[in-house]
Amino acid sequence: MIQYIVRRLIFSIPVVIGVTLITFILLNVVPGDPVLEMVGKYADPQTVNQIREQLGLNDPLVIQYLRFVFNAARGDLGKSFKTGLPVSKMIADAFPTTLKLALSAYLVAIILGVSVGIISAVKQYSFFDHSMMIVALAGISAPVFWVAVIAQLIFGLKLGWFPISGYYSVKHMILPAIVLGTRFAASIARYTRSALLDVIRQDYIRTARAKGLSERAVIFIHALKNAMIPVVTILGMQLSGLLTGSILTESVFAIPGLGRLSVWALSERDYPLVQGVVLFTAVIYILGNLIVDISYAFLNPRIRLQ
Amino acid sequence: MRKFLLIFALLVTTVFVFAQTPKKGGVLYDYWTADRMIFDPQEDTYLQTYAMARLLFSTLVRYKGETLELEPELLVKMPEVSQDGLVYTFELKKGIKFHDGKTELTSDDVKFTIERMLSPKGRGASKWLFEPILGAAAFMKGESTSLEGFKKIDNYKFQIILEKPYAPFLQNLAVPAASIFSEKLVMAAGDSWKLKPVGTGPFRLKSHTPNTEIVFERNPYYFEAGLPYLDGVVYRIIPDSTVALMEFEAGTLDVVTIPVLEYERIKKTGKYNIIEKEALNTYYFIMNLSDPKWSNPLLRKAMALAINKQEMAQSLYGPRATVAKSFVTPGIPGAYQLGEGPAYDYNPEEAKKIVAQLGNIGKVTAWQSGGDTLSDANIIIQAMAKEVGIDLEIIPVERAAYRQARNEGKIPATYANWWADIPDPDNYIGVFFGKGNQMSSGYNNKEIQEMIEKARIEVDPQKREQMYKQIEYKIIREDIAVIPLFHLKYLLATQKNVHGVIAHPTGITLYLYAYKQ
Repeated sequence: MIQYIVRRLIFSIPVVIGVTLITFILLNVVPGDPVLEMVGKYADPQTVNQIREQLGLNDPLVIQYLRFVFNAARGDLGKSFKTGLPVSKMIADAFPTTLKLALSAYLVAIILGVSVGIISAVKQYSFFDHSMMIVALAGISAPVFWVAVIAQLIFGLKLGWFPISGYYSVKHMILPAIVLGTRFAASIARYTRSALLDVIRQDYIRTARAKGLSERAVIFIHALKNAMIPVVTILGMQLSGLLTGSILTESVFAIPGLGRLSVWALSERDYPLVQGVVLFTAVIYILGNLIVDISYAFLNPRIRLQ
Repeated sequence: MRKFLLIFALLVTTVFVFAQTPKKGGVLYDYWTADRMIFDPQEDTYLQTYAMARLLFSTLVRYKGETLELEPELLVKMPEVSQDGLVYTFELKKGIKFHDGKTELTSDDVKFTIERMLSPKGRGASKWLFEPILGAAAFMKGESTSLEGFKKIDNYKFQIILEKPYAPFLQNLAVPAASIFSEKLVMAAGDSWKLKPVGTGPFRLKSHTPNTEIVFERNPYYFEAGLPYLDGVVYRIIPDSTVALMEFEAGTLDVVTIPVLEYERIKKTGKYNIIEKEALNTYYFIMNLSDPKWSNPLLRKAMALAINKQEMAQSLYGPRATVAKSFVTPGIPGAYQLGEGPAYDYNPEEAKKIVAQLGNIGKVTAWQSGGDTLSDANIIIQAMAKEVGIDLEIIPVERAAYRQARNEGKIPATYANWWADIPDPDNYIGVFFGKGNQMSSGYNNKEIQEMIEKARIEVDPQKREQMYKQIEYKIIREDIAVIPLFHLKYLLATQKNVHGVIAHPTGITLYLYAYKQ
């Protein structure tokens, strides 16, 4: 297994390099000078050139890219054009917030999604099943910012149960976690339901039932473990997605996470920060997928890799 | 009964008097939709940074309350100006301390501040403020190490000598980018200065949590006795303005910019103070005169007649907008008032006739700054153009790319807005139509450019006003180089217990005199 992990990690290196190279090319191909963003509406060419020189933007692109790669390999992601702070520090400051939001949302998604999925599968075609699947479909389809604003309006402004926005205490995290989590719960519920229904129809489940096991034991001991294999894949991918894709939730709830930081970096054309965030995100994705594959192998010995 | 009435009247008067007396203490909560992340107004020219600069720093002169009239801030009195308009003599108030409570403001700090902005090694983004000073050009090129036009007389007195007369020079000194820094403290802070600013302003930076909040506390060493009234000001970062309004209605924000659609509802509740104020801005449609198609004055005229400014302003901004009668915002001396209506009143029939006269012009193009779909304003403009037979294609272009193209004069036409930095016609006319053509106007009328140069250095205010009116008449009525559409008012709501908030026409909300009852 260790050999497998090491191999996967080595194979990831070209992926990371590819991602940074594409980002670098895109940033430089798209028109728009980062210095013009910095100096505002009265940009005189002399000042622009002066700052470009200071930031190393007048160097050939190959040099700029190689400088980034070599520095990144040494753990130095450079300094933000705008703030002058180390990019790694800015990411390190923003990431824990995103992680907290993602994990809380994840918890909501798993608890809600898996339980609704199980009940729906066990009580297939019941009223609960039908209504939950409609709610799940609505949950997947509704835009996250709309759900967020409605939640803020009802639970924040009208009922006053939770703070409307901001990031100051645990209480501030509840509403965003529910909004983000329920969205993912919807798809988890649908996956759990269909995976469980597939498994329930298998012969070994019929055997288990024939042995006289209680329905609870059949579902939780025999069916669920196998049904969870495709669900785990989705869960793993969703964790990476949650970590990196909570931009809208972070914006609506004014949460200072990685999503907001990346939007800011892009709008300011802060190249080192954009590069840093992309590199970090790529690594998170790769690690997320690796964890999924490992847990996959644990759950199903048949697909354990050599 | 009479006695009772007298006591009642006395009580009412007392309550009224007390209600009007500023109360010390309290923290005021405002918000920004984005965090600029830095606090150096020399480096960042966004409105947020300017608003923060008014809390943190002071300028030599400032605007008096809500007006556009200047008053001394760090100075003992308004500077004396020599007859030829070249030499300005300043005297600083004695004993002004920076936020550390130790460092005293001197003439050297003013010199340092100006030179820092102009330095070829620095990141000064508003060099234009100090460019009229004698020797600025050489200093900016690195040809001299000291600014020729700055003469220190003693620790509190100094002179600034201009290259040639420049009437709005004192206005430049009131722009937040001209905030005065401390040489000693800037040098000591080094690279961290823009994150840890220290000024002489009424508040000092207490903490900054990126993308969350910026907390300011009262400066105990502030040089104006009794001010500020507030203990602190907190700017929360709330990207969504609908959410900000919810926070305001929940009572967790003290001030909010009212979204247009919510204006009537908020006003009707009667629960809040509403501030409506004219601001220095113009929303316009500009056509690049060097573009092959837009260079045709008839096409520009047809476009000017095709846009129903009243309808456009009303549908986009409701009570927040007033139809533009000039390019320079009204209220600024030199703004040309074009009779009762806007320049080229809406006249689709006349526009249709011109388009018919033009024959087949094919598709004409305009750009939009940012977005992946057309803005409502551009949809309206496009529809109005179509109504008279102009096939106007509008292309959304990414913001930074748009800005670069605009600087290079490559934008064919665009709907945009201009928020002036100083209440002077030169800040509109000179920027858009003077030599250099920085706003993609493509304007290259030598005669007008020379008139602009002359108007800029005219010392007699009345003569100057007339000159700008003449220039603007030519630009709008004859050349139709720009179509002024409307001006936006400031629409703020504050909680009932908040008083003394100044919504200044420059777009900055000021809290020096604000207090909570």
